[in-house]
Amino acid sequence: MICFENVSYSTSGIDIINNVSFKLKKGCFTALIGANGAGKSTLARLCNGLLKPTSGSVSVGGFDTALVRTSRIAKFTGFLFQNPDRQICKNSVRDEIRFSLECVIEDKTEIGIRCEKTLQEFSLNGDRDPFSMSRGERQRLVLASILAAEPELLLLDEPTTGLDYRECMHIMECVSRVNKKGATVLMVSHDMEVVQDFASEVMVLNDGSLLAHGRTKDIIRNEPLLARASLLPPQITELAIRLGGGYENAVTVDDMVLSVKKHIRGAE
Amino acid sequence: MGGFLDYSPGNSFLHRLNPIVKIFLSLMICVSCFITDSPFFCIAIIFLNIVMAASAGILPRALAMLRTLIKFCTFLFLIQVFFIRDGTVLFSLPFDIYVTDKGVMFSLMMAFRLVGATLPLALMLSITKMNDLSNVLVGTLGMPYKYAFSLTTAIRFIPVFTAEMAGIMEAQTARGVAFDTKNIFRKIGLIFPLCVPLLITSVRKIEGAAISAELRGFNCRKRDSGYKSYPFRAADIGIILFAFALAAAGAFSPF
Repeated sequence: MICFENVSYSTSGIDIINNVSFKLKKGCFTALIGANGAGKSTLARLCNGLLKPTSGSVSVGGFDTALVRTSRIAKFTGFLFQNPDRQICKNSVRDEIRFSLECVIEDKTEIGIRCEKTLQEFSLNGDRDPFSMSRGERQRLVLASILAAEPELLLLDEPTTGLDYRECMHIMECVSRVNKKGATVLMVSHDMEVVQDFASEVMVLNDGSLLAHGRTKDIIRNEPLLARASLLPPQITELAIRLGGGYENAVTVDDMVLSVKKHIRGAE
Repeated sequence: MGGFLDYSPGNSFLHRLNPIVKIFLSLMICVSCFITDSPFFCIAIIFLNIVMAASAGILPRALAMLRTLIKFCTFLFLIQVFFIRDGTVLFSLPFDIYVTDKGVMFSLMMAFRLVGATLPLALMLSITKMNDLSNVLVGTLGMPYKYAFSLTTAIRFIPVFTAEMAGIMEAQTARGVAFDTKNIFRKIGLIFPLCVPLLITSVRKIEGAAISAELRGFNCRKRDSGYKSYPFRAADIGIILFAFALAAAGAFSPF
């Protein structure tokens, strides 16, 4: 779905991305992690052609982003920005979703059907003014308007920043649902718990270079690697690593519960 | 390079001038552009602006601004030149449209004046800290702090809003809105709906800034609250005299 070949990107003489190469298969859920300023958001913007590589090539869904307009790539990609206010431009929730659909679909009947379906699916009141909604609700609305267009590729730039646990789970469950239906997801995130719970693979970025790309279980247990990118493993993983002695394979809370139960039974 | 009106740090001769003198110089350059009838004088003023920008280390920004202004002025020139009916006809087009020598001269002067008068103020604001500007407006000119703060905040917010608009356009492009179209009229039509998010974000930002200032004791500030002083040096006096000479040259330019 996405193919980066020796991609570098620089602006105002500063190198942001250095010679990055990777491939993402259709239907995978990949998290992009790294310290602040590592180039995560830039890499996400390179994925849909908002930024064009200085050297190398980026191919998305078979299109070379340097040769195709971003609005063309947007027909099959969705991009959720950190700040939902930049995406909202209509005075009602319904109009906002319709506007998003109108950008990619021409059939008005289809637009109407999909709009009402999305409103129901995301429990949104179509007549509400988006700007009177809470931040979490606005983020949910923007995600709803993106998902209404049924994108094949979903790019998320720190989608859960500033949200409470309930809203965070709401957003992530929607994303997970879309991923299970076959959409490819690339999520920029600092929240290691969210990464651990939802991503199937992880890429670690440091100073614009790709440090590692692999299965979530392998990456988040690699403390030296995470330390190089100024990151810490999720608390449950850190606990498992520190405990050792059979617990070190536990990556999630469920894994840990099973390991502890097994240990207690063994002791009895 | 920095955005339009972002402060560009430096220690050049122009950077070291008293903020009042910088603003005075830029205003006098504007005045000289408007009182002169000579296109050559206007070209000289534009050249002076470029030299000043180069000496302050902001030449790339000045050239970028000049390019934008030239595009805008070319557009204005092309509109204006067909509306002046006086003078000798230089060439005619169908539907009683013609271009006269006076029309060309008037439109050319308008374009030159616009470039010459816009550049200096933008350049001077690029090399003046907004805090220094509000301090001299209050301390030296006696302007009430509230007004000085409002003025400098309005200037400070221009690059912020420019960046915000760029961010909004980026977000909408990612959504499929064809801002990357080459059709300029279509692009203008697409920009209008973006006024809503820009307005909302702007109002939120301004409200946040106002609350933040209030919580930090904004209303307690008096004229004597600033500790920084901005003395007039010999160079400042020299520049004031130069500014007057420039305005006089503009008024009496012989060519």
